[in-house]
Amino acid sequence: MRYRLAALASLAVFAIWLPYGVGSYTIHVLDVGLVFALLAVGMGLAMGVAGQINLAQVAFFGAGAYVTAILTTKSGYGFWTAGAIAVAVSAVLGLLVGIPALRMQSHYLGIVTLGLALAFLNWITNAEVAGGADGISAIPVPPLFGVDLSSDYLYYYLELAAFAVALAFGLFVVHTSLGRRLRAMRDDALAASAVGAQIPLLRMTAFLVAGSYAGIAGVLYAGLIRFVAPETFSLANMFLLLAMVIIGGRQSLVGCVVGAIGLTLIREKLVDFATYAQLSYGIVVVLMVVFAPTGLAGVPARLRSIVDRRRRGGGAAAPELAAFQPLAPSTVDLPADRPALEARGVSKRFRGLKALDGVSLAVRAGDIHGIVGPNGSGKTTLFNVVSGFYRPSAGAVLISGQPAGRAGPYQRSLSGVARTFQNLRLFRTLTVRENILVALDRTRTRWIWRYPLWPVSVVRAERDLGRRAAELLDTFGLAGFAAALPGSLPYGTQRRIELARAMAGAPRLLLLDEPAAGLNGEEARQLARMVRSIRDSGVTVVLIEHNMGLVMSLCDRVTVLASGAVIADGTPAEVAAAPAVIEAYLGDAELSEEMAP
Amino acid sequence: MQVTLQTLVGGLSLGAIYALVALGFSLVYRTMGLVNFAHADVVMTGAYVASTFSLTARLPFALATAVAIAVTGLIGLVIERVLRPLENKDFDLMLIGTIGFGIVLQSVAILIWGTTGRAVPSPVQTAPLSVGGIRIRTYDLVVMAVAAVAVVLLMLFLQRTKRGTAMQAVAMDHEAATAVGIHVGRSNAAAFAIGAGLAALAGALVGPLLFVSPTMGGSLGIKGFAAAILGGFGSIPGAIVGGLAIGVLDSFAAGHFQGYSEMVVFLVFTAIIMVRPTGIFGERTVSRA
Repeated sequence: MRYRLAALASLAVFAIWLPYGVGSYTIHVLDVGLVFALLAVGMGLAMGVAGQINLAQVAFFGAGAYVTAILTTKSGYGFWTAGAIAVAVSAVLGLLVGIPALRMQSHYLGIVTLGLALAFLNWITNAEVAGGADGISAIPVPPLFGVDLSSDYLYYYLELAAFAVALAFGLFVVHTSLGRRLRAMRDDALAASAVGAQIPLLRMTAFLVAGSYAGIAGVLYAGLIRFVAPETFSLANMFLLLAMVIIGGRQSLVGCVVGAIGLTLIREKLVDFATYAQLSYGIVVVLMVVFAPTGLAGVPARLRSIVDRRRRGGGAAAPELAAFQPLAPSTVDLPADRPALEARGVSKRFRGLKALDGVSLAVRAGDIHGIVGPNGSGKTTLFNVVSGFYRPSAGAVLISGQPAGRAGPYQRSLSGVARTFQNLRLFRTLTVRENILVALDRTRTRWIWRYPLWPVSVVRAERDLGRRAAELLDTFGLAGFAAALPGSLPYGTQRRIELARAMAGAPRLLLLDEPAAGLNGEEARQLARMVRSIRDSGVTVVLIEHNMGLVMSLCDRVTVLASGAVIADGTPAEVAAAPAVIEAYLGDAELSEEMAP
Repeated sequence: MQVTLQTLVGGLSLGAIYALVALGFSLVYRTMGLVNFAHADVVMTGAYVASTFSLTARLPFALATAVAIAVTGLIGLVIERVLRPLENKDFDLMLIGTIGFGIVLQSVAILIWGTTGRAVPSPVQTAPLSVGGIRIRTYDLVVMAVAAVAVVLLMLFLQRTKRGTAMQAVAMDHEAATAVGIHVGRSNAAAFAIGAGLAALAGALVGPLLFVSPTMGGSLGIKGFAAAILGGFGSIPGAIVGGLAIGVLDSFAAGHFQGYSEMVVFLVFTAIIMVRPTGIFGERTVSRA
């Protein structure tokens, strides 16, 4: 930490002193570089952090610059009024372009945003108000308390201030609640929604932020160059920006900045060989993608992991999984008359296939309720309906007597339903601690108004979350792995992390999808102990499991599904004796082979 | 009515080109799950190679096109080989990698042919036909015929030959295909080469219709990509229908909105794709959830 502060301080001193050491041309190039750095930070936030392929960043940039130009030269607004409006317009444009992200992702989103960027380019090249292909010149020098901003040296300080604030805000977002949710969404949108992240709003937020940063960059560009023309906002520059972000490292804002300033300087050095410069950055992008997908920013971490591996071989011990600390038992009597979970005639059809066919069941509050059945009998589909991933084709789900209605996964999570997944869905680029923090965070997404308006409360909430995360990690014996990435840990440990993550939301109803799959005997026994303790703390547990020994010893009641319908329901002993169950299970081996897709 | 039909005919000829571009996209996407953003620049390279061989080397147009197809096929093989480690893994990285290749192809084109671009004369010099008052350029008919032949040949290849069937198998499940002894790498390389060849064909054909320049790939490629999405990504009939639809939309937008046609095309495309993200025929690939 002290090293970091020292590095930061010396960097700040260097940045402030820099204009004294360079010529007028270099300072101009640096000014342009800072504009690109702002753009790259916005793009990094949307693409690297939130995983939204946004190829319209250059259009948001253009909107900022053009609105400033039009309002100052044609409508007679002052520079800063025009600038404020321009940033707002860019932000709104970001939201509009982001709307398709609600319906599609990945390459679809890439092509739609690229298409919209072309549409914008088409508009500015043709619209009379935008000056057509000639663009708009004679944008006034921005006034600033008598400081002459027509000097590139003084303008540098203005940009530096804006850039420092924007970067600090970006880093603040990335490392706190909102950024964690965005990163969780990038890694696994489904799992993120299951722990309470409102995916649609988060995607829009990503585009809003990208648009705002680009807007600020656009205003600064207009004030710096005082001339705007369509070629600045062409696809070639979009791809240049993309190269900056990829080469620097899209998941690290500092990496994006390094990429942006570095590439701007190199491009200026090679201005006489522009085509060769283009050729070489194209080649570098390809090489980066194949050999260093995390960009320059990822290089230190990769080196560290190589060094660590060497050292590990030298005998340093890996941290061990500590024992689970039983939770405090609940003292509140649970309402015996109202089931914690009830399904009434739930059906789910996928085109022709009927995955669930009129399933009715009731889970008593405070029970451990098992759901068993052959592969393909609809167990996971039932979980998906209960946790809000699927809407039932017919029937209703009631949670604590309340109809769940059309509430989505994040709403159900916030109202006290937590789940784990059959094939582990941990956020793979978040540390174990961050995985827990995402789920601990119970705030609604609209809470993010605090980021621009009252950041102090974010810091306070963050401290509180951190304390609770430490407690939870201790409870589940995971404290030794807090800083590790889940993918580097043994399978059994990952299962426990997922359980801890599900419990972080303080649920009333916990759905476990094959929690013992892949665990050895000892781990399964530990699991049983944890599940009992969780139940005793007042949480109703529903679990899907194939390990019949575990089901028989652990569950209070068991429901058996076959081909999407309930064939038995009762205590483990009753169910084990039911003829329909015996039939289904004796045929299981053959059945599952035949039914395998 | 007259005007509408005239616009329609113009749109169909450009649409046939978009369909060829979309076919290349779709073929590569369905076999290896790779979204090739460099495809647009492969089209551009094809256009340049074909025009160079027909203008400078004075080869017949058909022969020049064949050379272009061979050259871009090779480029396709190179791209596939370099990006092979990412296949079926990281979607977004592959996408960015192909954008990188696009940048490379564009700068190589500038190094060889300069930035100015060139107009390519139509290889068919006969007067336009007049059918029921509508004037049809003979070259438009040539474009449509060639595109149709290419589509038929591609379908025959995919359905009737062993290699084509193997490619279909890889598209459905690359692991199962490996298990039954199909060399997935070789099959992917072939798909990529064919995709690039289709791009070159599109480029050669579009040369006389548009102006050939290093940046021509931009809007042409994105429209071809849009066509593939509109039809249903990975679907062969979808690519054809989507291509023709974008061509007609383009032509009507040009008629009604002049300079703003491109903006209108992309806004309409975005609106359609918002309503139906899987396109007309639905995405036809292995589920990659």
